Amino acid sequence: MDRRSLPLKNLLRRSARTAALVLLTAFLAFSVFGGSVVVASLQRGLGSLESRLGADIILLPSSAQSKVSFEKLFLQGTTGAYYMDRAALDRALECEGVEAAAAQTFLATLKADCCSTKIQVIGMDPETDFTVQPWIAQSYGTPLGEMDVAVGSKVEAAIGESIRIYDENCKVVARLAPTGTGLDTAVYCNMETMRLLLKAAENKGVSHPITSDSDDLISAIYVKVQDGADIDKVNSRLTGHVRGATAVRTRSMLTQVSDSLAAVSRTVTALIAAVWALSFVILLIAFAMMAGERRREFAVLRLIGMSRRMLSHMMLAESALASLAGGVAGLALGAALVFPFTTLIETSLALPYLTPSAGTIALFACGTLAVTVLVGAAASAWTAWRLSRVDPGTTLREGA
Amino acid sequence: MKRFSILSCVILLLAAALAVGSATFLGPCVHEDGSFGSCHWAGQALLGVGCALALQALLAMASRHRAGMFLGMIPTALLGLFLPGTLVALCRMDTMRCRAVMRPASAVLCGAILLLALAGALIESRKGK
Repeated sequence: MDRRSLPLKNLLRRSARTAALVLLTAFLAFSVFGGSVVVASLQRGLGSLESRLGADIILLPSSAQSKVSFEKLFLQGTTGAYYMDRAALDRALECEGVEAAAAQTFLATLKADCCSTKIQVIGMDPETDFTVQPWIAQSYGTPLGEMDVAVGSKVEAAIGESIRIYDENCKVVARLAPTGTGLDTAVYCNMETMRLLLKAAENKGVSHPITSDSDDLISAIYVKVQDGADIDKVNSRLTGHVRGATAVRTRSMLTQVSDSLAAVSRTVTALIAAVWALSFVILLIAFAMMAGERRREFAVLRLIGMSRRMLSHMMLAESALASLAGGVAGLALGAALVFPFTTLIETSLALPYLTPSAGTIALFACGTLAVTVLVGAAASAWTAWRLSRVDPGTTLREGA
Repeated sequence: MKRFSILSCVILLLAAALAVGSATFLGPCVHEDGSFGSCHWAGQALLGVGCALALQALLAMASRHRAGMFLGMIPTALLGLFLPGTLVALCRMDTMRCRAVMRPASAVLCGAILLLALAGALIESRKGK
């Protein structure tokens, strides 16, 4: 008899018991791995949102009840179009404490040519923009030309392909890196293209109520405040100075997102802790029940010459093997349910969500496996100790 | 007496989920104007694949040649895996239901059926020796 192969043979011989242990540990590993990936993705999404906002203050038209719409646009990719006069940009630049200001114009399509979804088109000036342009520059080195567009990572259009917006053909020149925010569902162009698209939209019956001249329309002004300037004071000054616009501090938006994220993280962590506690108790009970069932088996093994130490090791090896199998199954299940459904999770949570890098995911997987095996071994340790102390003579006499 | 096959039962359940799901809770959205996009036809094709796999699973339960039945499921599962998005185009926005729900769900279900069918073919062919 090969002593080293005994744990595996024991597991295979009692397939129902092994399957129950594997299932339990699989559930444990699934909850830890899935929960960790979701929480890490939310944290990465928040980081991405912070870097993409890139401005201290955003000026939006007061008429749009804009803050909510803007947040939805940023976080969920909801389309929105609200306009103010371009003169607001000059007035913002005149304001004390403003270091830089850049305008963007939004246009929501009626529907794309491919399907019934609406797309948000964002026009910006590559020369002055300091929020979107650095992101576009990561994928496309030269400024966007007339009728050139860059598409977010969630818009399925290949480079070189044309997409039709209000019957105008726009050439896709870049696909942008994912940000985990609503910006991934938008299409970006320069202001010249945006003017043509606004005119095309007018021709299709879409009205831009504040002015008849689409050259003068902007939707948002991103403001960078000078170093050392009080952002709150600049915020109030901008609200007073730029008529018809409301200044929103990006920090307040980020704080709200961060609070929502903390609440989701707390819930996920509490669920993981509950699953762990429950699984550990069930494992303890399962191993304790097993102890009664296997007393005679261990007594026989003692009689044929196995030491107490060998018996303990055998029991621990059995639980470690079962936990390892369960851990691998749990990881596979977690990977199959979390990664393919990333978009669904993101839209359901309505929070920025960016999947961690492959290295981080591999670390999570290794950590989950290690912890699952350790928990399995810890739950069986007491049973292993008890069984190794079985008196073979008494046990076999009792059983006879 | 014929042996009961757990693998066939699991495959039957997964195939039924694919067939029923692609016509209901996993299916593509309906356009506001009532028109159909290509994703609708991808959903219909998945319904067919799900029914075919369910039938194959039922036949595997009744058949003496289970290894062959399991092998037959492999190309059908592969077809289900590549139908939405590869063989039949879907909507061009990742947030649309066909991309966010139907494609990943069919990939997970067909992937699981593929693995189970492979395992079943292997187990049954070893038993036959």
